[in-house]
Amino acid sequence: MKDQTIKKNKQKFRPSQVALFALTLVLAVFFLWPVFFAVMSAFKSNGDILKSPVALPTSLYLKNFQDLFAQSDFVTAIKHSLILTIVSEALIVCLVPMAAYAIERRSSRTTRLIYTYFLAGMMIPFHLYMFPLFKEMKIFGIYGTLAGPIACYISGSVAFGTLLYSSFLKGVPLEIEEAAQIDGCTPFQTFWQVTFPLLGPCTASMVVLNGLNIWNDFLMPYLALPSNMAKTITVEVYSFVGQYTARWDIVFAGTVCSIVPALCIFILLQKYFVKGITAGAAKG
Amino acid sequence: MAGKKKKFDTVAFGFIAPAFLFFTLFIIVPTLASVYYSFTSWDGLSPTVKFVGLANYKEILTGARFRNALINTFILTFFISILENTMALCLALMVDNVKWWKNFFRSAFYIPVLISGIVSGFIWKIMYNYNFGAINTILNSMGAGGLKQDWLGNPSLALIMVGVVLVWKGAGYYMIIYLASLQSVSTDVVEAASIDGASPWQRFRHIILPLISGAFTINFTLSLINGLKVFDQISVMTDGGPGFTTETIVYLLYKVGFNEGRQGFGTAVGIVLLFIIIILNTLQQKFLKSREVQL
Repeated sequence: MKDQTIKKNKQKFRPSQVALFALTLVLAVFFLWPVFFAVMSAFKSNGDILKSPVALPTSLYLKNFQDLFAQSDFVTAIKHSLILTIVSEALIVCLVPMAAYAIERRSSRTTRLIYTYFLAGMMIPFHLYMFPLFKEMKIFGIYGTLAGPIACYISGSVAFGTLLYSSFLKGVPLEIEEAAQIDGCTPFQTFWQVTFPLLGPCTASMVVLNGLNIWNDFLMPYLALPSNMAKTITVEVYSFVGQYTARWDIVFAGTVCSIVPALCIFILLQKYFVKGITAGAAKG
Repeated sequence: MAGKKKKFDTVAFGFIAPAFLFFTLFIIVPTLASVYYSFTSWDGLSPTVKFVGLANYKEILTGARFRNALINTFILTFFISILENTMALCLALMVDNVKWWKNFFRSAFYIPVLISGIVSGFIWKIMYNYNFGAINTILNSMGAGGLKQDWLGNPSLALIMVGVVLVWKGAGYYMIIYLASLQSVSTDVVEAASIDGASPWQRFRHIILPLISGAFTINFTLSLINGLKVFDQISVMTDGGPGFTTETIVYLLYKVGFNEGRQGFGTAVGIVLLFIIIILNTLQQKFLKSREVQL
């Protein structure tokens, strides 16, 4: 009897399910098409891009990438993008969870005040303080070096990072830490050897979301790195748009270099993107 | 936890100090410096700074260029917030209810979020191109050549066309938040309503929508604030033009600061932007609190 009703329900909903599936598919094609278009164009000659922008590439045409690396210092740009992203993330993962740990586990009036201070700072747009920031970088002697953007990426991640880590820490049981302390661990050891490994999923979310922002960032490297050399992938793509107005093929090859790494990380670590976004929104 | 209020000791200090130092040095200090520079006619280069009192703010209030940027920003921000949220909610409902390929669809709608502002701006700039762009080519091949437009060159269309790119790129992010919220709605409540004879629309309107209102408030505020800060797409697609039709507050700030050597005025514009963001955040908190009381 029960089986029958379920079957009936299934049959009843079938056409609407198919319609919904079709509609979702159409929208998915619309969302993916521009990305597909960019990747496709990177493997077409400039003439083909202009003549038939919608057509598929006819052969595996790699000259765009050869030209890209021959005509510009794109290797340096890739190197800079990688260094900025990896070094910043490594330092962020060292500093930010420690701060969140103190805020959460050694809660006092001062730490709560600092937490509010961080959250309030989250509202400040980068554009507001960028002019004095560059002046400050010059005073510290880090303007025009990779250290400048790295320092700013660290400070920019403090607010969101402590928010993410402290909401995650609430779900980590205290007992293990207490046991470690009884066994004679210093607070520093307790944190790094006992608590930090338990924060793995949170660290992964933090690194992928924040790393993506750094990888894709434009204004900071554009303004803070020296202009006599290639800066980052994003900045190079931007300067190509002005420089090679007639060579779209080269620019498309550059965009593929920017998209593909982000896409790979996303496909491998999807669930951490989702977790990080929802945890951040729930608290923010 | 409440019973164990500890004092701020050296351990807590040691743990927080590095993050605190970075945050203060590279965000708070330059922000305070901006407050100071907003009362000056600083050009960004010269060592001497001339104090001009409220002149910058007066120019903001009375100048036509700032008013134009403000109007553009509001149009763009409201346009994309409403479209992004409608789109994101629809996508979330679709992904939540579709029977097959759920994960594929969720990823497909999220993928544009992964692409940098500059790259997404460039891709669409090429697609919008009058002579060689994909959109006009498709229109031509469909026999609708009459609809062909110089999408970014037309002063009355450019801002909307930039908005389309932002909605395309942003909707997937908010979809994830709606999706999490939809999945937290208990199926029991929805089933109970459908047994009582509620139509799908009634179930959505009276059961699901109130239960996800928190996500709605958060998403709407987030998209408004992100809309205010849009920069990359404008710089690569239109550079504020044609004329000043796509010059937003942030873009105006950047241009006066770096191209026109008026960083004092630029920082004053930034302060105004901060105030707008603070107001939006306060409204969000109020909304969220009043909803909590209702529940």
